[in-house]
Amino acid sequence: MIQRRSFRAMGTDVELFLAAAPGPAADQALAAAEAEFERVEALLSRFRDDSELSELNREGRIEAGDDLLTVVELALEARERTGGRFDPTVHDALVAAGYDRTFEEVAPDGAATAVAAPCGGRVRVTGRTIELEPGTHLDLGGIGKGYTVDRAGAILSAAGPALVDAGGDIAALGRPDALGWRVGVEHLTLALENAAVATSGRDRRRWRRDGEERHHLIDPATGRPAASDLLRVSVVADTAAEAEVLAKSLFLAGEREALAADVPAVLVAEDGRVAVAGGLA
Amino acid sequence: MGAAAMTNHVVRLYAFAGAVLVLFLTWATIAARPWASHASTKADPRWTALAAREQRLRHDSLVVQRVVARRWRVYRVQLAARQRAISAAVKQHQQQLAAARAAAAATTSVSSSGYSAPSSSGYSAAPSVRVVTLPPVTITRTS
Repeated sequence: MIQRRSFRAMGTDVELFLAAAPGPAADQALAAAEAEFERVEALLSRFRDDSELSELNREGRIEAGDDLLTVVELALEARERTGGRFDPTVHDALVAAGYDRTFEEVAPDGAATAVAAPCGGRVRVTGRTIELEPGTHLDLGGIGKGYTVDRAGAILSAAGPALVDAGGDIAALGRPDALGWRVGVEHLTLALENAAVATSGRDRRRWRRDGEERHHLIDPATGRPAASDLLRVSVVADTAAEAEVLAKSLFLAGEREALAADVPAVLVAEDGRVAVAGGLA
Repeated sequence: MGAAAMTNHVVRLYAFAGAVLVLFLTWATIAARPWASHASTKADPRWTALAAREQRLRHDSLVVQRVVARRWRVYRVQLAARQRAISAAVKQHQQQLAAARAAAAATTSVSSSGYSAPSSSGYSAAPSVRVVTLPPVTITRTS
């Protein structure tokens, strides 16, 4: 029996699936997972003035709580590992591109108000202290949702096999049946167990400024929305946070490099071609 | 009288034959254009240059064809060697990956919830996943 719960959080639709008998235990697990989304969003959203992340961006230095500290360390490790393709310091570039408020509030068309902003500022973590180089601001949207999906999945899976889907960032934990959690990725159906999927692309969260189409995937090398030959990339990884990082990195890398990387991924090219990599065929 | 007439007749015949011969010789002489023979032997220098150039190009073309053919043979040999090396490297890499995955699967600790901690293994992350033909519970989309 699959228990379900849907709600909105982090600017997207979230669905929770729990393979357990209906009852208070299942309800409690679903409620706790939903509460986890609200809790982490309140800490990591750059659109909330009272979030811990906003305080860090304002002050440039903060004694961070566990979640912010973990996510920033994950993001910095990802920046190092992907050669800068994934970078949490894209905040100003996103704002310059026009993504300066929640996506629901971003005007679909209009005049540009800023030019590209540089990325790659120094972020120092010492103990629990996070310190930003002057002029550097963080956006954790590229990893925070995956982190939250992993957290909610961990909470939910205490009550049974669980799947958390936050607008395409999916964590599948345990096995509801002999096959595992079945997740559709383009034309494929993947049976996942203790694995995650995330999709990054420029076919959603896009808008126009000065007649030019823009999207939310910033290339840290240019400080502008990335000009990839891919439309979207779905990646399978151990965790949703990792899948998010890899999906963005492969999107920026482009089709050729993404196909060569040993990552289970489904790539959709600009012309609609679908390619499967990393042994998913 | 009869002999004189016959003589005149023969003379006219010879005269006619002679005239035909002269006409033929004149025609042949004119057709041979002896006055133009000297001029034609003095070839136009542009034609001469063109002919020389043609010869040179033919020669160069042959040389280039030989060079290209030789390089193509060398390239084919090197390509075959490179392809063999790549195949061997890919095979070795796959064997190493399979061994690493088997080792990771044997040593990974799984918590009571079945949840794996975030990996820092980068591109080599290889979760458990299978392609099936059943309908999905949910689908992933651009986030």
